[in-house]
Amino acid sequence: MADLGGANAGGAGMIGLGGGVLGRLAVAQYGALARLRWRMFSNGLRSNAGALELGARTVSYLIYGLMGLGLGSGMGFTTYFLVSGGKWRLLPILFWVLAFLWQAIPIMLASFQEQFDLGILLRFPVRFGSYMLLYLVFGLLDISTILGGLACLGIWIGVAAARPALLGWTTLSLAVFAVFNILLVRAVFAWIDRWLAQRKTREILGGLFMVGLLSLQLMNPALYQKRHQRHKGPEERAEQLREAETRYEPLLKQADAVQQWLPPGLAAQALRQGVERDSLGSLTSLDTLGLYALLVGGLLALRLKAEYRGENLGSAPARVKTGSGRVRAGAAAGYEEKAAGRSLVGSGPIAAVIEKDVRSLLRTLPLLYAIGAPLLLVLVFSGVFIKNGGQTPVFPLSLPICMVYAQLGFTQIFYNNLGTEGAGIQLYFLSPTPMRTVLLAKNLFHSFLFCVVALVAGVLACLRLGVPDPAVIAATAAWLLFALPCNLAAGNIFSLKMPYRVNPGRISRQRGSQANALLSLLVQLCVLAVGAAAFAACWFLDRMGLATPIFLALAVGAVFAWRRVLDNADGIAYRRRDALMATLMKTE
Amino acid sequence: MDTAAIQTHGLTRRFGALTAVDDVTFSVAPGQFFGFLGPNGAGKSTTIKMLTGLLEPTAGTVEILGQPFGAGALELKRQIGVVPEGMALLGRLTATEYLHFVGRMYGLDRETTNQRTQELLEFMQLANENKKLVTDFSHGMQKKLALAAAVIHGPKVLFLDEPFEGVDAIAAGMLKAMLQGMIHRGATIFLTTHVLEIVERLCSHVAIISQGRLVANGSLEALRAGVASTLPGAEGEQRLTLEQIFLSIVGGQQESAQELTWLT
Repeated sequence: MADLGGANAGGAGMIGLGGGVLGRLAVAQYGALARLRWRMFSNGLRSNAGALELGARTVSYLIYGLMGLGLGSGMGFTTYFLVSGGKWRLLPILFWVLAFLWQAIPIMLASFQEQFDLGILLRFPVRFGSYMLLYLVFGLLDISTILGGLACLGIWIGVAAARPALLGWTTLSLAVFAVFNILLVRAVFAWIDRWLAQRKTREILGGLFMVGLLSLQLMNPALYQKRHQRHKGPEERAEQLREAETRYEPLLKQADAVQQWLPPGLAAQALRQGVERDSLGSLTSLDTLGLYALLVGGLLALRLKAEYRGENLGSAPARVKTGSGRVRAGAAAGYEEKAAGRSLVGSGPIAAVIEKDVRSLLRTLPLLYAIGAPLLLVLVFSGVFIKNGGQTPVFPLSLPICMVYAQLGFTQIFYNNLGTEGAGIQLYFLSPTPMRTVLLAKNLFHSFLFCVVALVAGVLACLRLGVPDPAVIAATAAWLLFALPCNLAAGNIFSLKMPYRVNPGRISRQRGSQANALLSLLVQLCVLAVGAAAFAACWFLDRMGLATPIFLALAVGAVFAWRRVLDNADGIAYRRRDALMATLMKTE
Repeated sequence: MDTAAIQTHGLTRRFGALTAVDDVTFSVAPGQFFGFLGPNGAGKSTTIKMLTGLLEPTAGTVEILGQPFGAGALELKRQIGVVPEGMALLGRLTATEYLHFVGRMYGLDRETTNQRTQELLEFMQLANENKKLVTDFSHGMQKKLALAAAVIHGPKVLFLDEPFEGVDAIAAGMLKAMLQGMIHRGATIFLTTHVLEIVERLCSHVAIISQGRLVANGSLEALRAGVASTLPGAEGEQRLTLEQIFLSIVGGQQESAQELTWLT
């Protein structure tokens, strides 16, 4: 037996703990972590699924790159025209749009990215500074940073082309602005994760979310009213616009004065002051922006410090009121009765799965968001169909286009319907309930949700854009009848064959699956393409009435396919049960 | 002759080049409390997964209550309860909601499910934790809930993978009493644990697996006698503990710890 002691006894052979975030120990740890990531990556390639994942990831990054180039080009051209035309008052709008996208993209594309959870490092002697540094560095390849970075590059090129003398200030402004956004997005998500981990804050957040959604819906009647007030002649409208400008000018000035002190406004202001050769003013703006970055960095550090000290979000203590044993037992019994009384339909496994999913959904803000987001999208994007202040007739196929938005929000729900089960997946294999029944229950519940969202989205679109031709309404409904079973059938296959674990209590730091995300997008695009082709053909032939029977015929085929998938679900699940459990129960 | 509660023939599971379970054959009679022991990585959890239908054997057969375990063995699944390695819990539910869900997945009617849920929660001392989600439970509480879920449908055969891990002494005592009560009422229990004292106290029969192969199988007394006969003189005459039997069969290397002189 080799002597493991001797000269190496005690702390000998160890790197000292000193040296800060760039000390020997820290650098060795970064190296170890980089090797770990590499090993995880290369080991993942041993399986076909891993190779598929690599391919999907490559394609994803190409897509992100293209999206970023598009965004960057748009930003670049807009900046060029604003800067060369001296329209400095409008420049902050560009920075506000960029800041909004930077924060919103991670939520919108949450299922498209995999993030490494650094919680595994906490058992090692890692300094807090190193922990935070790694947290920031590992996030540099996420979608928002790539898109945001390319957008900043676009702005930089736009300014360089319009006013080369401004490059110094532009570089500084954009660098500080980018750092601020990177820190802000991380801080926001870290804090949301924290709030989602505790029952009380989770409920408050859920309440705020619902109030937000309701508020958005209440905006509709107001918009509807406005739309109908716009049926006036051009002169009358020009007069109305002038009146509005006069009336709202003080308000706009106030808003402008406020936004100048907020990060996007400060970044734009630093550029403007650079043009005006007001170096002191420009430096002051940048310093203030830097202070904002420090502030959000501090908030992020506060959150990470708690994690670093060992707080586990997954087991955040619930605030339970204590009482006497008898009272508590009585309360438990009362709860029991209440729970029993709240049942939905019957007592079979289908009802059990639906009830379970309803309860889980109501406690899972990210999923609620995914379901509610399409309504927001319909509300925002339906505006593009209103031309000429409502004078020009709305594009006749605007309703089906709005329905496409409603469908996109369900991608993760349809295509990874077992993702939130975690270790509970074992129960489906242990219980006498066939996987067909489990998937059927999930499909029924998801279909109900989808129909509700589609209905609300349809009503919103009609309120905003007017009621379309009955033939278009019928065709849209028929297309949904075709699209829904298509998505359910493909979603069931994807859920069984390439699932990924979703931590329902977190918005950020999810594992994700590029392969699932990309292929599901491909299926959805195919469904959309079929719909678009049929709609376009019927529209050009001026036979919109034909679309409904076409879609209904397709829907019959789709339902048949969905049933076939359900009938085969047990076989697929049985053959893949080991991989399914390994994936969904993965904790690293 | 009674049909065996659990019967395996040549049970084998390979993961690539690794043979995790190699040609394991054993039988557990109805009403037996059967301990399945082995060192870490010996193949215990893999075996229990194959016995409960969570993992397909590469070769060999499994019969529970005389029926083969296949894809369509739904009626058979009603007869068994399992506390698997991962506990099969759903973190976003409360304990009551989870037991409701499990009861109905096993086909219990609502009234029975409600009644048993309440009784089990009170028995497991979880009745006061109804405001908490399962994800917020301690490890021990999760174990108790997993055990409650495994028995809610009154299984005839119960498979327990490390059921006492993290459970406090008071609860462990109650759980042992509950399991013994099940045995007296005719249930069969298949238990894997590293706590040999528990096996010694509860189990009438023991099998030991090492490096995927079954190296011992029989009643505790038979194993004791077998090992004692191989020991010299007075050492063989004393009453051996299960730990001594286990180490003797599997081969312990306690002395190697003494070599790690740099450990303080």
